[in-house]
Amino acid sequence: MERAGKKGERGLVSTQNEVIRVENVNKDVRPGFGLRKKRILHDISLSVEQGEIFGFVGPNGAGKTTTMKVLMGLIRATSGRATILGHEVGETAFHREIGFLPEHPSFYDYLTGREILDFYAKLSGLDTAERKERVELLLDWVGLAHAAEQRLRTYSKGMLQRVGIAQALVHDPSVVFLDEPMSGLDPLGRKEIRDLILRLRDEGKTVFMNTHILSDMEMVCDRVAIIIGGRIRYQGRIEDYLGGEAREIDIVLSNVSPDLVEILEEQYEAELRGLRGRIEFRIPEKDRRALLELALRLEADVVSVSPHRPSLESVFLTAVRNAESEDSQGAAAAGTEGKESQ
Amino acid sequence: MKSIRRMTTIATNTIREAVRNKLLYAVLVVTVVMILASVAISTLSYVEGTRIMQDFGFAVIRLFSAATAIFIGINLLHKEVDRRTIYTILSKPISRVEFLLGKYAGLVLTTWMLVASMGAIFAGVSLLAGAPVHAGHLAALWLIAVEMTILVAVATLCSSFTTPMLAALFTTGIYVLGHLSQNLYHFASLAEDDGVRQLGLFLYAVLPDLELFNLSVQAVHGLAISGFEIWGSVVYAALYTALLLCGAGFLFARRDLR
Repeated sequence: MERAGKKGERGLVSTQNEVIRVENVNKDVRPGFGLRKKRILHDISLSVEQGEIFGFVGPNGAGKTTTMKVLMGLIRATSGRATILGHEVGETAFHREIGFLPEHPSFYDYLTGREILDFYAKLSGLDTAERKERVELLLDWVGLAHAAEQRLRTYSKGMLQRVGIAQALVHDPSVVFLDEPMSGLDPLGRKEIRDLILRLRDEGKTVFMNTHILSDMEMVCDRVAIIIGGRIRYQGRIEDYLGGEAREIDIVLSNVSPDLVEILEEQYEAELRGLRGRIEFRIPEKDRRALLELALRLEADVVSVSPHRPSLESVFLTAVRNAESEDSQGAAAAGTEGKESQ
Repeated sequence: MKSIRRMTTIATNTIREAVRNKLLYAVLVVTVVMILASVAISTLSYVEGTRIMQDFGFAVIRLFSAATAIFIGINLLHKEVDRRTIYTILSKPISRVEFLLGKYAGLVLTTWMLVASMGAIFAGVSLLAGAPVHAGHLAALWLIAVEMTILVAVATLCSSFTTPMLAALFTTGIYVLGHLSQNLYHFASLAEDDGVRQLGLFLYAVLPDLELFNLSVQAVHGLAISGFEIWGSVVYAALYTALLLCGAGFLFARRDLR
């Protein structure tokens, strides 16, 4: 597991296929007039390669949207550097190659679905013929062809989210930034967007996605970064995250004798759950062979043995708890140092 | 060339927004009512009834044009940021300055359309009331439209760094003082206190002289209007507006859109 520590990834390795690169980005804001500056992004470093679906995950207020706004040039980093396709994020000419769906997107509601996509296509520099073709294609892709002549003020939240996705893709960009793309969608809509994201990857596009819906991220992302309190806590492949947890095995046995139950509870400290004449329990991977041999010797029937795969959600919650614990330890240490220096 | 195309796209869309917005139609309806009321007011006088009517008509056009310019100008950036419509626009290959200039051009053209519509109503009512309508009226209306370029630019500059409420306050203040700048110079020159005199002269130098764009008296009374009065004012407006927009662009390009 690649761990992004408090010092950030100063040693980020640059590759030929690197599309997004963020190096030690900090962002300070002043919460109010005359108030002291507060740091909301701490030494953010990450790298995304071409064709990847990269998930940026964290609780509300963690700094996901702020990081994405830095990448979009909407806010300026206090220090550090960010590039997309080798261009500094403050430039705009390369925006022909990027698409962006903001969180809770809002559009000119006096325009119709077709007009708004045509407007964005014009801004992206598409000529008349290209515009016509792309607008119709995107309306069809996101399932809004039937509402193309309706003004956006009559659209539902889910329909506006689809408009947001369509405008992000209308100029056929190679890198797509999606901030909470599943927000406001029903389960069917979410599946359609997941399929669309996977389709983008099949077309060789790079997707950078913010979300707090972990199940969606787990289903589509190649790599993820976990951001908590403005700091990246983990960064790497999902499999590595999940594999990095201590492996456990779920075992289901039937025809279990009282002796075996006693051994399981006392020797292995297993938590047994009864299930229609069977018992189910979880043990560490290292005990698997010995326990199965014991079960067979005591004439139990082995119904199933399956590796327990912790969900991204559980890893995420662990990361949040660890971060809170680290932060409180850090604060306590700082407090002690402060007292000693006095 | 591509830059012009992008700004034109923003400007065209801004005009489309205005055309689909009920506010401008409401302003026009109120203007019609006020100009018709001027006919009634003019009947209260035994002499120069048509001049009173036209004086009142010009005042209505100036007032409503200025109010509209301030209102739409201060919202130029605020509404886009507040409703987050700007996020998706700036993710396209358009710079903040191009966006700002496109919006500005669209709003100025909108106020020009408004002045033209109000001018047409004014001319129609004048002709029906038997008052003369000549080239001087057209020149006066043209300079009202030119004045709007400065006023929208002032509102744009103010909206690039402060809230709509303060921007409205600043812009209205500059509009009022801009029309009193000659008086400001006069009083500053007479001031005994050196500090007051310096302040007055500084404000006179910095604030736009908006009375340059007021030809309504000449138009109503049929006085001659020189080409220099018209085109000198246009050049003045162009230079002043360019300065204001440079300031607005500089501030807006550096602003965090949170």
